[in-house]
Amino acid sequence: MSSRSSSALRLEIEHALERSFPAALTPAHRTIHETVATGIAEVDELLEGGLPAGAISEINGPESSGRTTLALSFLAQRTAAGQVCAWVDADDAFDPESAAANGINLRQLLWVRCRKSGIPIRQRPSTKPFAQLDQALRATDLLLQAGGFAAIVLDLGDTAVEHARRIPLATWFRFRQAADRARTCLVVVAQDGCAQSSAAVALECAALRPITAGDTVLRGFHFEVRRERQRFSPIVIGQKKPPARVWPAAGAWDMEQRA
Amino acid sequence: MKPELYACVYAAEFPSQAMLRLRPDLQSLPIAVLDGRPPLEEVCSMNRSARRLGASQGMTRLEAEALVVQHGGTDQGLRLLSRSLEGESAARAVMLECAAIFSPRIEQASQGTACAFVLDIAGTERLFGPPRALAERLRTALLAAGFRASVAVSANFHTARILAASSRGITVVPPGEEAQFLSGLPLALLDMQPDHAETLAIWGIRTLDELAALPQDELTARLGQGATTLRNLARGAYMHAFQPQEAAFALREFCEFETPVEQVDSLLFVGARMLDSLIQRASTRAMSLARVDLDLALEGNSTHRLVLRPALPAVDRKFLLKLMQLEIAASPPSAAVLSLALSAQAAQSSKVQLGLFAPQTPEPSRLDVTIARLKAIAGEDRVGSPVLEDAHLAGAFHMTDFRVEPSPAIEGNRQPRMALRRLRPPLTVRMVLKADQPDLFFDGRQSYRVSTCFGPWRSSGCWWSSGDWDSDEWDVLAQSQDCTPLACLLVMDRANCEWRLEAFYD
Repeated sequence: MSSRSSSALRLEIEHALERSFPAALTPAHRTIHETVATGIAEVDELLEGGLPAGAISEINGPESSGRTTLALSFLAQRTAAGQVCAWVDADDAFDPESAAANGINLRQLLWVRCRKSGIPIRQRPSTKPFAQLDQALRATDLLLQAGGFAAIVLDLGDTAVEHARRIPLATWFRFRQAADRARTCLVVVAQDGCAQSSAAVALECAALRPITAGDTVLRGFHFEVRRERQRFSPIVIGQKKPPARVWPAAGAWDMEQRA
Repeated sequence: MKPELYACVYAAEFPSQAMLRLRPDLQSLPIAVLDGRPPLEEVCSMNRSARRLGASQGMTRLEAEALVVQHGGTDQGLRLLSRSLEGESAARAVMLECAAIFSPRIEQASQGTACAFVLDIAGTERLFGPPRALAERLRTALLAAGFRASVAVSANFHTARILAASSRGITVVPPGEEAQFLSGLPLALLDMQPDHAETLAIWGIRTLDELAALPQDELTARLGQGATTLRNLARGAYMHAFQPQEAAFALREFCEFETPVEQVDSLLFVGARMLDSLIQRASTRAMSLARVDLDLALEGNSTHRLVLRPALPAVDRKFLLKLMQLEIAASPPSAAVLSLALSAQAAQSSKVQLGLFAPQTPEPSRLDVTIARLKAIAGEDRVGSPVLEDAHLAGAFHMTDFRVEPSPAIEGNRQPRMALRRLRPPLTVRMVLKADQPDLFFDGRQSYRVSTCFGPWRSSGCWWSSGDWDSDEWDVLAQSQDCTPLACLLVMDRANCEWRLEAFYD
């Protein structure tokens, strides 16, 4: 009896089953996608490592849902690694003190404040919202084309959903291509999903409950984050609800937590 | 004794050359430059096309304007420009710098409206070859800088100067043949006193060789000691004590427009030529431009200053020109431009050592252009890095220029902190209090019911200045009418007795 090697045997079986099951015994190649940690263990666990590099990630949610904290925590990881980041602020809402409290090296951060209108955000006429949005998109485009930025946050957090959704799909396609080419993480902070199929990851944030100290001091918040979409993750059969995690954020003034 | 050898560069009609050097669009047109106080202006310089049309030195403005009308208006006929002494000074510095490439010992020998320099080129054969080769290279370098100049080389200082003024192109005088080369030239080339010129004219002496042939003793007896000097000059034998001048290295260009310029493109067209010249001059010293200042004189006696600061010293013309264009676009002049002056600071060319394991950062020159474009979109003071103020006032910061600097990796594992989203400017809200605590507030669109509030946290400061504040801060958890939760920072301004929504926790 002639001895046959295991590979020859596998080839023979695959050849026999070729019509029904192509490459039945050969495991499918799995591409390893580079991920970048957000600095929040619960979120990194949910995302199996972090936000994808060279792709668009969406962090959506209403006000006070923890999306800005999550984005700042992510940038803090990048600047701590000596990389350069940018924050494109459509509504001029970025708070440098919060960024510093989250550990962002401000000298490594380029902040683009779209032109001020002089009118508080909630009193602006809803008929002319596109000037600042246009500036934010053009600025993001320029930064992506320039290359060298590890992460760019496009902050549309105060932009109305109906306006953010009117950003053409072609713009998001272009951003996706540019982010892929420059290996830049483009993080879009918005109230609801607007990048649609161009986003590799979509997270939905929500506020759960405050952390207080004797009902006199607000010490922090528990936020919930749900993974609405993750392009490169394997499909889990039978999963009905999107996976979610709860994560805490302390107040910037909380010396007990800071110590 | 060391043999002497001099080269003289002579740029005739220097006022017009200085004006046309940066204006290639005018070079093919007949141009006359007027000098003097209006209305008594006279033509002091012109180019060859203008001379062909009949323009001449000393012509009054009226006579020159008659030529303009005679030749069909300003489009095709003679164009009259006003003399710019500042532009000539800048052009003279450029010419001197061109000459300084070939010899460090240079003496100025300008006469009238011409600009001339005499270079001591003794001992430069091993560097630049024989005198004719040096003269050709010198003339080519001047031509590249925008000057048409004649060059004469001689062992005698004054012979070189006289021949350069009287001939076009290149003249090289072999040692000992100075008198032959000077023969036949008019006496007007010598800078003589009027009574000497008159006496010599009465005697019938018209050329240098005729003056050189006169007997020295008799000539001195009749005209004095000055006549001996003139005779020696005419023979090419007058000795000169060379007094070299040190060329100061200043990168400056100036251009005055004949009409106020409103178009940015026209400004850039001239600016590009000026930038070229600065780059060329810096490059000859193996240096780069670290900073370029643009001074624009505007109509109404105002000035507008712009500064180009590349992240690294650069000599890339396209890059610097793009920066200039974006800088002008970001802060355009408020009125038409009368003149443009560029002054630059030179620095050592940059060398960046990249590391294999260093994090990828934006390319400095590309980042400069990107930031300039961003500033043109968002505003000059709205792009950069934030720097926190060392102050007790919440949210105090200022912006600085964004620079990519190598930063070592540090430990980044910190617990996330609740971030604020600021409202700029803060939103004034209507507040309903209950037991001296916020209970209900209205932001202009909808009302929010306060579920929990923490505070007040009182702060005040800067009472000694106009930037004083005195306020109570409240951390508020509220719900809108549609049950959307909200965590925000409300401030009660005690000075104005008004409630403001400062920020959201997010």
